[in-house]
Amino acid sequence: MANFFPRWTNLLPLKIAVCLGALGASVVAGITYYATPKAQRVGYQPTQPIHFDHNLHVSQLGMDCRYCHSFVEHSGHANVPTANTCWNCHEHVKKGSPKLAALRDAMGVDEFHSTIMDEDGTPVEGKPIEWVRVHKAPDYVYFNHSAHLNRGISCKSCHGEVNKMEKVYHAETHSMGWCLECHRAPEKHLRPLEEVYNLNYDPEIYLQENEVIDTEGLIVEKGKRIEDPEDFGLFLRKHWGVQPKESCATCHR
Amino acid sequence: MSKRVWNPPVTPTKGDTTTAWRSVGEKEGSESFRNHLDREFPAGDTLTEDEQKLSRRSFTMLMGASSALAGIGLVACRRPETYIVPYKRAPEWIIPGTPLYYASTRPRAGGAIPLVVTTHEGRPTKLEPNPDHPDSSGTCAQTQASILDLYSPSRSQKILKGEKQATQSELKEALQGLDLTKTALVFGEDDSPTRNRLAQGLAGKGATIISYEAVSGEPLQKGISDVVDFSKATRILSLDCDFLGVDPIGNSKEFSKKRQGGNGDYTQGVDDVDGSKMNRLYQVETQFSLTGGMADHRLRVAPSRVAVIAGEIARGFGVGSFEASEDDKRALFQGAKDPVIEFNSWIEECVADLKSVAAGGLVLAGSRQTKEVKQIAAALNKQLGSAAIKAVKTDLGQYSSLIELSAKLEAGTVTNVVFLTPSNPVFDADSFAEVLAKAEVSIHWGLRLDATAWACDWHIPSAHYLESWGDARSESGVVSLIQPMIMPLYGGISELDLLHVLGGGDFAKGEFFPAMGEVKTTFAEITGKSDDESWRDALTDGFAEGTSYQDGELSVTAPEIKASATPTPDSLEIVFATDASLLDGRFIDNAWLQEAPDPVTKLTWDNAAQVSPVTAKDLGIYDQVIALEPKTSVAGIEAKVSDRYETGEGEGNHSPMIIVNVNGRELKVPVLIAYGHADNAITLPVGYGQAADDGREGSHALESAKRTVGDVGLNAGFNAYHLRTSETAYFAVGGKVKTTKEKYPMALTQEHNSMYGRALAREVSTMPVKGKGDFEEQKKMVKKQGMDSHAPPNISLYKPEGSETWSKTELAKKTHLADEVHQWGMAIDLNTCTGCNACLVACQAENNIPVVGKTQVAMGREMHWIRMDRYFASQENPVDEHGHVNKSEENPAWITQNPESIPQPVSCVHCEMAPCETVCPVNATVHTEEGLNAMAYNRCIGTRYCANNCPYKARRFNFFDYNKRNPLIKGNLYKGPFGEKQVGEAPHLQRNPNVTVRMRGVMEKCTYCVQRLESAKIKQKQQQKVNTLAAGKKSYDVAVNRIKDLRITTDSVKTACQDACPCSAISFGNLLENNSRVVRAKGNDMDSVRIIQGEDYKPVPGSPRNYDLLQYINTRPRTSYLARVKNPNDKMPDAKYLGQATINIH
Repeated sequence: MANFFPRWTNLLPLKIAVCLGALGASVVAGITYYATPKAQRVGYQPTQPIHFDHNLHVSQLGMDCRYCHSFVEHSGHANVPTANTCWNCHEHVKKGSPKLAALRDAMGVDEFHSTIMDEDGTPVEGKPIEWVRVHKAPDYVYFNHSAHLNRGISCKSCHGEVNKMEKVYHAETHSMGWCLECHRAPEKHLRPLEEVYNLNYDPEIYLQENEVIDTEGLIVEKGKRIEDPEDFGLFLRKHWGVQPKESCATCHR
Repeated sequence: MSKRVWNPPVTPTKGDTTTAWRSVGEKEGSESFRNHLDREFPAGDTLTEDEQKLSRRSFTMLMGASSALAGIGLVACRRPETYIVPYKRAPEWIIPGTPLYYASTRPRAGGAIPLVVTTHEGRPTKLEPNPDHPDSSGTCAQTQASILDLYSPSRSQKILKGEKQATQSELKEALQGLDLTKTALVFGEDDSPTRNRLAQGLAGKGATIISYEAVSGEPLQKGISDVVDFSKATRILSLDCDFLGVDPIGNSKEFSKKRQGGNGDYTQGVDDVDGSKMNRLYQVETQFSLTGGMADHRLRVAPSRVAVIAGEIARGFGVGSFEASEDDKRALFQGAKDPVIEFNSWIEECVADLKSVAAGGLVLAGSRQTKEVKQIAAALNKQLGSAAIKAVKTDLGQYSSLIELSAKLEAGTVTNVVFLTPSNPVFDADSFAEVLAKAEVSIHWGLRLDATAWACDWHIPSAHYLESWGDARSESGVVSLIQPMIMPLYGGISELDLLHVLGGGDFAKGEFFPAMGEVKTTFAEITGKSDDESWRDALTDGFAEGTSYQDGELSVTAPEIKASATPTPDSLEIVFATDASLLDGRFIDNAWLQEAPDPVTKLTWDNAAQVSPVTAKDLGIYDQVIALEPKTSVAGIEAKVSDRYETGEGEGNHSPMIIVNVNGRELKVPVLIAYGHADNAITLPVGYGQAADDGREGSHALESAKRTVGDVGLNAGFNAYHLRTSETAYFAVGGKVKTTKEKYPMALTQEHNSMYGRALAREVSTMPVKGKGDFEEQKKMVKKQGMDSHAPPNISLYKPEGSETWSKTELAKKTHLADEVHQWGMAIDLNTCTGCNACLVACQAENNIPVVGKTQVAMGREMHWIRMDRYFASQENPVDEHGHVNKSEENPAWITQNPESIPQPVSCVHCEMAPCETVCPVNATVHTEEGLNAMAYNRCIGTRYCANNCPYKARRFNFFDYNKRNPLIKGNLYKGPFGEKQVGEAPHLQRNPNVTVRMRGVMEKCTYCVQRLESAKIKQKQQQKVNTLAAGKKSYDVAVNRIKDLRITTDSVKTACQDACPCSAISFGNLLENNSRVVRAKGNDMDSVRIIQGEDYKPVPGSPRNYDLLQYINTRPRTSYLARVKNPNDKMPDAKYLGQATINIH
């Protein structure tokens, strides 16, 4: 045949290439915009069985993080408090409140705080509270809280201002790239060990109120006072020998 | 062509025609719509016929509706909710994420094993030895694997009466209704003070108490045991006693220390192995055992000839006048110019050597050997005045034997039997099943529903020792306490609770266990302390301090050795050997032990008849004799081609089967050629063949209604007990062999037994070797054995560290392999390694290593991260004064047929210049700053190039999902998702939560237990806070010195293999610390250490015996080996052939 292909097929490869390119680009854009941790995790704010208000307990009542998350300096997991920790106060506080129904279920008591008995006269088995998990790293990541908290990284750096959260939400992306950012530049998040659990810490104010002298001249001149938060971070890094590892086995084992 | 004209139907813009999605979105809230949807959900019967034919439109409507309703509004694609469920009331001490450690003990005949149990949130996951216990000596492979028995899905879970489930109250009635005067209780042979006390109480009421285990021998004197102290023994003669293996006596750690010349810690400044202070071991045995591998002089004899050798040795000491026959002498020294002279010389020099050390001499007799041999050993120890052995009194004398029980059952004086023994008498005691049928009431208490369980009227599921209260005596009699880690998973009942009920008490209620009260009572009796504090201290330690056996008196009688016929190929001796993995068969359902290769034959999942090459030839099993190292032509270098027998390799390995006929019975078994095995004898490991459904003859058939094994123990091996009678409990004479044309597939992990001309497992001798110098010279030249003797110096193709090519930034240049705080390294001492597999099973327990099943093992896909290589080495040709091998002559048969056996555990050696790291296409395997070769499982795509490139073949690939799919069913793995899943959820409880469980398609390998290293380092970070608090200053004022504060305490972290080793062969630690054990052992004269420590640094040289495996390919491994030392007696006739396994390789 003379002309086997009709004329309009001349432009077809170009059209296909352009379409595929556009398709590819939109898939990439879609994934980047919708399917990365930044989009998928940040802002996750699930409803919990008990509407626990961190703002009330931490900011207003002044409880320390470690009262409930007690093993955060000793273990890899920052434990969610067991029901008996809540019961320490709530046995007497807000007795009978409908918001605490799940807690009473866990302790096996009714709204008057008397033990519920079942048919054969033994106390009924409580039902543990099923908190919805907000922050979860994938199974192949082994994150250890104590390694970070014992070295001057605060809860706020990774979890945001929990002390102001009325309902906990996922504040940071917790992607591997985000972790590596800090590992490569820990000075941006280091703070004195005493201030780790103080989520209202402001390095500027801290440096005004405390005289931090660079006695060895690590960052500024020897004997001079440190006033700049950036300098402070670098100073703490050098002074404490903070060298976060970047090899894969640090987290993936 | 014409242009296409689109003529779509016109869509009105008003809302009448709406798409499915929009209607759902608008109407999701309305009641009527929800009702409408309810009707339309395909519940099946609510749909009308028309509705059932789903149109595309209604389908999309449904999908839209259901997803919308699920989230009330168009929800975004969020991940599903996961939950954190904390305790209601937190148990004391449990920190989620950190393990808790408790002391306990594993009861065992011959001495309990003291343990520290790692528990995670209340579940035991790993067992370690208890270093504070005076008798602690690592953990054997069975101990490491015993934790799997706790979670075994085939464990018995119900009280059975007949074959129906019964209740605890019914059981109590039955137990307390027994007439004790007609009841016999059969216990195991382990020593437990509380059980002894309770049994005595029951015996006082008329009960007969028996102790029985299938492979334990008779003590020479009832109630008297031997306690051996190897630290005092310089010359040891072992008459068929595998004390480092299945016949444990004495502390292996002490033996190892003495093997190093008393210097077990590589103390700097002292010669690490002092040849003059080393102990010397003479071993007389039938098949190669672990102790035989360690021995300096070994004589391989048929079991009945052990008495002959013993008699000769005794005569040398003036005890008795037995003389071996000429036949025997010639049989044992075949090929010698004058066998009689060589034989006499062997005996005389051995006697002279023992006499020369007097109190430092020790003669051990195998616990299963004949009375005469044991009497000789006792007499000789007395003559020598041996300080290494002493007799002690035990309470075990009050127990009778199974033979006495059979007699009583036959006579009718005993009508009720309660079995509390870990052995399986119906299966392993000859014709006991018929005798048991005479009993009126039979009760079985055990972990598994084995043959005895089904033969009895009642079965009681036992509580595992990790779920029980109890006590046990360790080797020297230290009272060791057993405390439960977890409530019985399946309502099992512990032994002491059962005895308590028999004595009139009640079963355990809730959390109160009467067994604890019993143990406390005994504790108070023995120690004299009944206060709570002493009890709690003892529980924390795991033992009662200061307790031990009391000295006893062993009456030594003059033995009478009778002459007996030498075995011939027509009248073979059959040895019913204790299996190195299953012992007497009790571990047949333990997958780890089944897959752990037999330390000598490397056989997994089966047993086989072991025959020496000469006997195999005599029996006509093979056409040609199998040489140890088949000589072939390599690059034109000389070859004397020797044939290899054709059994095939890998998955094609099919061994021929023979019929063994002895004691009037027959058994068809496959055959394995066993080097170093005595001639005219066959070894049959016992315990296998408990149930099979493939029609094989040598095993009991599986009864599906009365299963005696789970999936693991099915179709495993052949039942050697069938040939065994009570008179021939250890070995039988007069055996005959018939060949058959049948073959049986075998799964061997190592089919090639020689080093093929490479000096892999190196050895030196305390005796001077021709052309190689004396001991000191040989030690210095260890690094130059084999290829290293003439390999040119290593030049790396890579640019050196610190160069621009490797790292661009200053920090990166400095941080690659340059952490100045920790640099990990390991040294494995071949001089103390016996090859027992403890490290293999410990690694499997710690790192969640799966079991792959027989078919996959045959293909070489076993998953053990650390493998136990075992090489045989014998001098085929004589060596002249210059050290040249004279290939035209051959050494006599009694030398070439008696090779040495050298085990070598090999795992990933963490090369600094790892060939695997450079070839990974996705960079899944990288090097950490501390010298570990790390594996990121989630990045691996399963190319397997790294395994291909690894010269040590240390990498393991997950070809299938061994954790989810059941590998034990034939062909199941290949069915993928259509196959069957793993049985039972309980094995997941054993998994270590700190180690990833790998899925299909991922490469894995030894990680130097990186989870333990990280835990230790993270814990150490708390030091900063401690310092800050101590200083009383603000934290920004307190400096942290990385080396002083962040470095973990020297030798504080141990890898799983290192911890488990009973001989302390593995040293692991920080190469930057000059006083750590690993640096003392191997030194730290390495480039990487020098770069970190700076120019002025003076490295520690370490032991001269240290060498790198395959050093000439410049991988710079972090794990190195220390050469083995043989300590031959230069006057012995075989001395000049010993200790030269690798020294002449070049």
